[in-house]
Amino acid sequence: MNYFSTVISLLRERKEFLEEIHQGISLKTKIASLLISSSCFFAIYGAIIGAFHSPLQIISSAIKLPALYLITLLICLPTLYIFNTVFGSKQSIGQHFTFLLAAVSVIAILLCGFAPVTLFFLITVTDYHFFLLLNVSIFALTGIIGVSFLYQIMKPNADERSQTSSVSLEKDFIVQVQPATNSNSAQNVKVRTNILRFWLVLYGFVGSQLGWTLRPFFGSPEQQFELFRAREGSFFTAVFNTLINLLF
Amino acid sequence: MQLDLDKLRISAKEVERLTGFEVNEVFIGTILGGVYRPSLFQNSKRFTHFCITEMFMLLVTFIFALPFGFLFIRNSTNAITDFATIFKFLLIPLVITVILNISWNVYMLLKVKSTLTLAHLLDEVDKYNEIIQAVDVRDRLEAVGNLQVNALDRERVCDVLKIARNSLVYGLMTERILRENKSLLARRYDLLTNIENNLVTLRTLEINSQANEYTELLNQALQIGASVYKEIESSQRRVSH
Repeated sequence: MNYFSTVISLLRERKEFLEEIHQGISLKTKIASLLISSSCFFAIYGAIIGAFHSPLQIISSAIKLPALYLITLLICLPTLYIFNTVFGSKQSIGQHFTFLLAAVSVIAILLCGFAPVTLFFLITVTDYHFFLLLNVSIFALTGIIGVSFLYQIMKPNADERSQTSSVSLEKDFIVQVQPATNSNSAQNVKVRTNILRFWLVLYGFVGSQLGWTLRPFFGSPEQQFELFRAREGSFFTAVFNTLINLLF
Repeated sequence: MQLDLDKLRISAKEVERLTGFEVNEVFIGTILGGVYRPSLFQNSKRFTHFCITEMFMLLVTFIFALPFGFLFIRNSTNAITDFATIFKFLLIPLVITVILNISWNVYMLLKVKSTLTLAHLLDEVDKYNEIIQAVDVRDRLEAVGNLQVNALDRERVCDVLKIARNSLVYGLMTERILRENKSLLARRYDLLTNIENNLVTLRTLEINSQANEYTELLNQALQIGASVYKEIESSQRRVSH
């Protein structure tokens, strides 16, 4: 069994893949495959950015980068699931987790797509601030694409119906029960759309803070290897200072 | 693949529907709560896949255990540079990773006994699908003119494969019912009778005594039917004791 083939089928047959998640088909296989493949892709990109500093930084970043994305996902998952369930979602926590993993896997594979570019600049550029800002841009771009992908696949629509299916070995048929849509359902859909938007902002904030806590990912060339830097400031002030350093 | 062969194949989705488990060549029920298939130790490719999966599980578990390392260093806001502090930070995640992975492997070791019958049936399903693949290869060779095939032999093989398929499907259904111990106990006797009838039919089929490419395939299909029957019989005996 090839764990990476699940990611390939996510990219090539996206509609069928997402429909299978919606129907709860082979969720465990998808979760296992997406977890493993996204960890590998993040680890590869983490190793590349860590290579700017030292071999120890390679190992450190190869573990920290998957940890950043996956732990952020795990921290924010209960919020999304509970709020969605309160406002009418019939999807299980497994389905929520699989959707989120699918989006994170898209980010991971996009980062891997940028890996040759990053490797090229790693070899040809010695300016730490340039390399840092290049990667911040890459992370921002892949993050925006991944988040908008997640928004598209998880956004509830007005036609959403609840399904109850039971399979009997004797008769081997599926029963679907579809309750009629009403104004309450439409209201819930609107609320859940706003919940999703709020959650995406929350995801960004939690991810940024976790990223700031886990730093360094690149390793400043003037400093020796540090597993974690002193906890001070914030992610946004650091990016601003780096931009100023580069321009002036 | 020709349509009649494609319909005879037992796909992964069908296996999932019949057994209630997501099955692949290494695990029954995936790595999340599932158990490994004992036959993987007899196949070097599957064993390598299993070993790689174990390594991935170590990595993923370690990643999720990392936040626990902050428990030891939460009061410290300084940079972590010395190896003593790094070791302190990594200790808890490493211990959690080792404990979780050992527990996972012990859990699988304990659970593998209860799924032995299913594992054997799934091995028979794999052998059955390999026979389908072999027939498909012969069809393709015939299509390009590399092989002269007797149409009657192919038809006979397909008939035998249909019977073997029914045996496998009934076997998987019976195993699931026995495993889940539902109240449909009367059903299992009907299913077992079906398997027995199929096996008798397989044995009374006249197999062409002349050596040809299909004799071996017919024998393999016959062996599958016999294995399924033996497996269900022994499973039934275990349940009644």
